[in-house]
Amino acid sequence: MKKYVCFFFAVICSIFLTACSGEEDAANLYKQEQPLELNIIIPESFSANHQETIMAVLIQDGKKVKGADYVHFEIWKQDGSVNYGMEEARDEENGTYSLRKSFDSEGLYFIKVHASNKGSIIMPQKQFIVGKLSESDISFLKKGAQIEDGSHENHH
Amino acid sequence: METVKVNSTIQNQKQASTSLYKILWRWHFYAGIIFAPFLIILSITGSIYLFKPQIEQVIYKDYYHVTPNGERVSATQQIEEVKKLYPNSVVTKYRPGESASRSSEVSITLKDKSLTIFINPYTGKKMGELDNEDRIMDKIVDFHGELMAGTLGDRIVELAACWTIVLIITGLYLWFPKKKQSLSGVVIPRLTKGKQILRRDLHAVPAFWITAGMLFLVMTGLPWSGFWGSHFQTIATNSGAGYPPSIWSGSTPASTIKTKDIAKVPWAAENLDAPASKIQGFIPLSIDDVISIAKREGVHPSYSIYIPQEKEGVYTLSAFPPKAQDEVTMHIDQYTGAVLADYRYDNYGLIGKIVAWGITLHKGTQFGLINQLVSLLICLGIILVAISGFYLWWKRKPKKELGVPKAPSIKNMKPFLVLMIVLGILFPLVGLSLIIVWVLDWFIIQRIPAMKSFLNA
Repeated sequence: MKKYVCFFFAVICSIFLTACSGEEDAANLYKQEQPLELNIIIPESFSANHQETIMAVLIQDGKKVKGADYVHFEIWKQDGSVNYGMEEARDEENGTYSLRKSFDSEGLYFIKVHASNKGSIIMPQKQFIVGKLSESDISFLKKGAQIEDGSHENHH
Repeated sequence: METVKVNSTIQNQKQASTSLYKILWRWHFYAGIIFAPFLIILSITGSIYLFKPQIEQVIYKDYYHVTPNGERVSATQQIEEVKKLYPNSVVTKYRPGESASRSSEVSITLKDKSLTIFINPYTGKKMGELDNEDRIMDKIVDFHGELMAGTLGDRIVELAACWTIVLIITGLYLWFPKKKQSLSGVVIPRLTKGKQILRRDLHAVPAFWITAGMLFLVMTGLPWSGFWGSHFQTIATNSGAGYPPSIWSGSTPASTIKTKDIAKVPWAAENLDAPASKIQGFIPLSIDDVISIAKREGVHPSYSIYIPQEKEGVYTLSAFPPKAQDEVTMHIDQYTGAVLADYRYDNYGLIGKIVAWGITLHKGTQFGLINQLVSLLICLGIILVAISGFYLWWKRKPKKELGVPKAPSIKNMKPFLVLMIVLGILFPLVGLSLIIVWVLDWFIIQRIPAMKSFLNA
């Protein structure tokens, strides 16, 4: 009887001790994802009649992603007057993917990047301004309406 | 010489076992008198809550049921509708509905109230609203878990659950046949041996029958308790054997986008003369995108989406369907849509899996109706045993005393003392209550003769 109690006691104590020493992030002990991270780089300024380069830098597991499964850019204007649809971005070989487009019309634009690598799929969306905002853009922003997708189709 | 020695050891053993019997009876008696009322409350509320799915299906029929009719309105539009109807509310959760004939739910907070708005996904119109405080089943479970008395109630329920273990252990010892006897009085009540024996058998025999079930309900309920349960869950999670973090305890991952890269919300800034560059940046994923991610990842259709309230927050998809194996907790970056964590039942540690099964069995959902009926039977059994135990005492209670067996000094009862100390350490609330009992006994009961004789201390 006593032996069992002692044994039981030892087990409980060891559970407490191991549990308390494990101060590091508990998430590391379970299944982990390798989410794609990215930065979308938009030119500081736009000039008329000139193509601009939009870039996305992909990072996964702390490393730059070369040769991602796919990277597509979708660019459109808030008022619908420009819609570049979905286009494959150029792999710059250093984790950077780019697309050149002209932005002759001023206003509020959206870019949605569709990218995938090693099972992680992302679809971030960023808004940016070329020149000045139009009345329509301002009322759109003020309304705080949910942003309409350029396409409601889902990628892949 | 030899025979004398043997005889005296036998006598000692006999004496020891009768006084052990007495002390266990004494503890069983006090624990029973004090905690029987709580066990009855827990059994009644538990019996009702077991049938929550069926009951809610009936009382909320008008909120739940929709007739599928053509295309569904997008979740974004459904939420827009709710925002229009409740202008100053904050949307906290969206539940798409697990089948084509189930309404969707938008949960909002409005002036300290939590409301659920039911939307017909085919028309996009509101079907009804429910104040979460008015949900009868929530009240029942609140009663079951904390006697509607918040933290104090939670601790009392936990204490009752822990002491039930003491009742089970002491009760089993008292029940255990001392001599070789037939099965009657052990597993079958003796109906013809007089009233006293019948009363004893009506307590002890059914108690034996439900012991395993009762212990199961206690052990599976404890991980939910506020004190023991939350510590247990934290230790299990941190050891790698429990639930992955963020399901019960532990932190939720944060979005991967830096705060400075997130677009400012202009309507909060009132005017747009503020630097336009602030408006540039990442904008949150639409809820429709989150739904398509859920479909892509094969999340159980009964999931809810918790909407982030902070800039660095994440969308959390969570489904706790009837069967433990279907559970999902998934965190999605609110800007990139990347799956940051995806925890299924298979990703739980061993203890997490056991607890998850324990929960669905305890709630009676794991095996459907059979599960509910077995659990109901155990609950009814607990009520019977609690009442018959009380009746058993009432019938033999002397007029002016409690009729409790005299306590031999606990110092002579080493195995029992060890058992109580172990239980007191494993369940600190039991330990705390033991210390309180001891202090009361030492400073009050032992010093007041009337008390001492009444309690037979």
